Parts: sequence; C-alpha cells; structure tokens
Amino acid sequence: MARQGSGLLTIAHKEFLDHVRSRKFLLILGIFLVIAVVGIISGVADYNKSLSVYNQHMSAASASPAPDTMGDKPSILSVFSSVSTYLVFLGAILGIAMGFDLVTKEKESKSLKILLSHPVYRDEVINGKALGSIAALAFALAIVFVLCLAALLVCGIIPGSGELSLIGVFAIVSFLFIFSYFAIALFMSTVSEESGSALIYTLIIFIALSSLLPMLANDTVMETLTGSPPEFPRELVDRMETQGNTTKSVSISFDTSGNDPAWQEYSSKLNAYWEKRQALTDTISLFSPTMNYQKISSSVTNTESGNVLISGTGSGTGIVASSSFAKAGFQSVNVPDIIAGSLVNILALLIFPILFFGLSYLRFMRLDVR
Amino acid sequence: MIELEHLTKEYGGVPAVRDLTLRIGPGEIFGLLGPNGAGKSTTILMLIGLIEPTSGRCLVEGIDVSRDPKGVKQRIGYMPEDVGFYGTLSAEENLTYFGRLYRMEPAPLRNRIGDLLALTGLAGVTKPVGGYSKGMRQRLGLAKALLNDPPLVILDEPTANLDPKGVADYREIVAGVASEGKTVIVSSHILGEVSRICTTLGILSAGTLVASGTWEELGKRVRNGTSGPVTISLETRDPLPGLDHPAITGVEYRNDRRGATVTASEDIRDSLYEYLSGCGVRIREISCRERSLEEVFLSYYQGGD
Repeated sequence: MARQGSGLLTIAHKEFLDHVRSRKFLLILGIFLVIAVVGIISGVADYNKSLSVYNQHMSAASASPAPDTMGDKPSILSVFSSVSTYLVFLGAILGIAMGFDLVTKEKESKSLKILLSHPVYRDEVINGKALGSIAALAFALAIVFVLCLAALLVCGIIPGSGELSLIGVFAIVSFLFIFSYFAIALFMSTVSEESGSALIYTLIIFIALSSLLPMLANDTVMETLTGSPPEFPRELVDRMETQGNTTKSVSISFDTSGNDPAWQEYSSKLNAYWEKRQALTDTISLFSPTMNYQKISSSVTNTESGNVLISGTGSGTGIVASSSFAKAGFQSVNVPDIIAGSLVNILALLIFPILFFGLSYLRFMRLDVR
Repeated sequence: MIELEHLTKEYGGVPAVRDLTLRIGPGEIFGLLGPNGAGKSTTILMLIGLIEPTSGRCLVEGIDVSRDPKGVKQRIGYMPEDVGFYGTLSAEENLTYFGRLYRMEPAPLRNRIGDLLALTGLAGVTKPVGGYSKGMRQRLGLAKALLNDPPLVILDEPTANLDPKGVADYREIVAGVASEGKTVIVSSHILGEVSRICTTLGILSAGTLVASGTWEELGKRVRNGTSGPVTISLETRDPLPGLDHPAITGVEYRNDRRGATVTASEDIRDSLYEYLSGCGVRIREISCRERSLEEVFLSYYQGGD
C-alpha cells in the first residue's frame, strides 16, 4: 500500500531486532538448534539402518530368480520425522513466546500511546509488528533447516532435488504451524490488558488444540460417535469351523477375491464404517494446527499413522484389518502428489494464522488507548 | 492555530467532554486546567487523533484531525502524562526509532537527538530507558515531544515527576519553544505550575469549559466579584455590635468581641466602616483578604460541577 511503507517497515525492523535480541527468543532458538541436531543424528541412524535392510533385500532379490516384495528405498525425508516430533511442541512454544506480549507489552510500558501519537496508521503498527515477528520466525526456522541440511551433509547424506523440494515443503509447513500459534498468541495479546493473562489464555487454547482435540479422535470416542465396527459374518465363521479351522487360526480359506457374496457384503460394510470414522477424525483434525501439522509432516516424511487398511490378497488367503499401523520407508511420491494429498490440512493450517491475525487486526484497530 | 469546535466525547453514554469550543493562537502557552477527571486528557487525545470525538471537530493549522490524523500527528509533539518508552533501548535508540516514524533523515535526526538530549540533561546517559527514574523519563518525554520540531507541542502533566531543577529546566525549554512562535498546550491540575508559564488558560470541570482567557481577563472577573465570596478581617478597640448586612454570609467573633472574620458575597468594607463608626466603635484594622489562586479556581471547578 502506498500510504504505508516507511512506518510499516520501521516498525517491522524494530520488532525483528527486538525479537532476535531478546533472551527468550535466543533461548528457545538455542534449544531448537540442539534438538534439531539431536533429531537429525537419531534420524540419520534410523535411516542408515533402513538403508542397510533395503540393501540386503536388494542383494537377496538380485540372487533370486523370482523376486519377492522388496519394499521401497528409505527416504532421506524420514530423517526429519524426529525433528517434526520436537517441532510440534517447541515450535508452538516459540510461536506463543513471540506473540503473547507483542501488544500487551506496549500497553504495560505505556509506549503504545506514544507510538500511536506518531504519524503512523494503526494498521501499520499491527502489520509492522506481525511482519517483524514473521521475519524473526522465518529467520529462526531458516537457521534450523540450514543446520539440519549441514548435519545431513556431514553425515554423508546428499539429498536430491526432489528431496530438497520436500524439505522445503516441510520447512514451509513448519513455519505455518509456528505462525498459527503466534497468531493465536497475538490475538490474545490484543484482547488482554496484561501479558500474564494473554499467556494463560494462549496456553489454554494451545492445550485444547494440541491435547484435548486429539483426544476426541481416539478409538473410544470414535466408537462412541460412530458405533462399533460391523461384526464378522456368522456364515463365514461357520464355514471356517466346518472346514476344521479354529477361530484362532489366521489362515482362512474362503474366497476373498470378490466372488463370495457374504464376504463382499462384510467387506463393503467395514469399508464404509472405517471411511466414516476416518472422515470424522479428519474433520476433527482440521481444527487443530498440531494435528494438521502432524498429518502433513507424516506425509512429507512418509511415516503416516492412524490409517486403516482392509485388503484381501488375490489368492484369497489373507485379511488385514487394523485401526492403526505405521510404515517406514519412502515411496517414490513426488512433491505435487504429497501437496495434493495434504491440501486440506495445508489449507486448514493456513486458515488459522489468517483467522487469528484478522481478529487481532480488527481488535487492534478498535483498541481504546486512553 | 488550534480550534476545537463543539467537541463532545461520550463513553458508554457518559459525557467525558461536553460541547467544548476553544481557539488557541500561535505562540501561546495555553494551560488546560482542571481537577482529575475533568476531561483534560480526553480533550488532548481527541486533539492528537488517538480517540474519535462523539461530535464536533478539532482543527490543527486548518487540518481536521478526524480527516487527516497522520497529517496532524506530523505537526504535533506530544508527551503523555504516563510517558512510556521501550525499556530495553537507550534514550538515543528510542528517539531514533520515533524520528524514523517522523521520516526524518538520518543525519539531521542524529544532530537533533544530540541537541535535545543535551537540552534535557540526558546527554551521555547510555543505559537502557528501563533503568531510568520517573524524572529522567519525563525529561526524555520532553525531548521526544520536541523531536520533530513541531509547531504544536502538547504536554500532559509535564512536571508531575520532575525535581526542582527539572522543573526549572522545563520552564526554560517551554518558554524557548513559545518564543519561536510555536504553540504549547500544557495540561495540568497543578495551578501553581500553569500560572508560572502559561499565557492563557482554559478551565475544565466535569467535561465542561467553565472559563477561558488570559490571566488578566480571568483576574478581572475575580475582581468584579463574579467569582464568589470575600473574607473581611475586622479588629477594633471596642466590642463589636451585631453585624447585619444583606451581603454578609457568615461572621465569626473573637471571644472578647474586639475582632471578627466576616464572609460576604462582595467587598462591603465601606459599609462596615460607616456602620461601626456610627455605632462609636473605634476601628484598628479592616482588611479584605485576597483569595488565593487555588481558592479562585476551586470556585470555578465547583461552579462547573
């Protein structure tokens, strides 16, 4: 905007310097860097293990005339999965620490009145504060990711261009996640008179979004909301018994290739049930930046969990029904596919900072500065 | 030229300032006087564009504050009562930040800051403002108000935390600013302070402007007896008879009745002299005690209520 400019940039510049010089920022950044390095080192160790297992499979496969399933080559991105685990907690804390006193500090020190008596519009003040803080956040994350990349290189792992792109996506998503909690803290700072109150309100929201909401998505609550899964058809059980198999057996010999009507009905019911449950879980997840971030980072680092799979093998000898499983390793999924797969979560993660920053903006524009 | 036209501000239907109309000319040191809660700070906040008036308008050099708050703020230097700075920055860093908000060029800004810190006695103080005393903050506030060399300087309770030396410096600085043709508005509830430096004043009470003008104009109103009762001291050689006069509102006799303190709605010394002489009472002294400035302005406040 033409009328902004100098005032906005002056305020943003000061905010940026205030952040990067503040002890709390430096302290959290220091912890961040330490856990990033530790996370990378442990991630590299896991990666190397997976790689050696993969290489063994490769050797066995090349020796065998009819190769069995070999699995996928582990991805360098899996190294970042432990970093994302730490980021979920510390990133939120960093965002909250940077935002909770951004406006209340000015109110408490009485500097807000003197600041607004200068030739600046109020939107320049709030936008400048946000811009300076975003720059400081980006600066902190950039340091963390550069250090992570450096650690990878030191360990002899050189990411390719596709993997570098995914690391970039992971960095952007991590930034959005931290910015979400920053925006919530900023909003609380504009509505509260004291920094202490703003911090407490923000922490309550943080706990609600990162702990209470995921609790709503657990198995017990889900079963209460969606009911129990459909029971295994009696007809199939009877058939198993008459064939002399016990119910303890995992080897079932009936046709799961699509010709048995009882199995087909059960299969479609179970699919519908799990799809309904998954849809509910996904919907709940959208309201939590933490859950959104976990889902996206799982996709990016390829350590998804919480999925449900039901399948029958073509030979009709197996069934897998599970409420949760985890798979490690890298499938050759490209960046657009991963972004498309997590698009809803990415959009939800974008909405949080936009919504709360918008609310902060509106509140600040109407702030009483008597 | 500052013009306030029918300025009214209400908070939740309760008026803080009512229909305030005022003109302040260039070069004036205008004192905005009133007790706590009279509406002084609200008036100032409307004048600098920090709060919107419920009705009426403020003009600074012909610019409507509501229409161009940024343009007005560029022409104003403001020091609030509870002056606040960034505690982690030094005085110079604080002023540099504010100077940038005024879009001042770096070199002139540096020079200006050096001059102002010397003027306010803060030159060479490098510690962060968080470690300043209230008086030092007030000095820095004065420097901040003068930073952009504005044609209008507004000071809200400027001497509240200053020591005697600081007050003397402040008076000298304000007089110097006014001598350059700039307008200074000083808001205070301390009459003595306003009376020392202000050339004109307005008295606010309960959000209403109850009096305004030069000291001479207000003094004339007092002398004309339009501003309340007078106190007459009587001392005689003979016992006083009962005093009766339509203007008398109260009499306190001494135990030996050779003296009394008379309060009256006007100066009735001549009538008392004639009456007592007629009664054969020898008069040693009859005097009318001039009311202090505080008493005079207290009567304005009470009138405003």
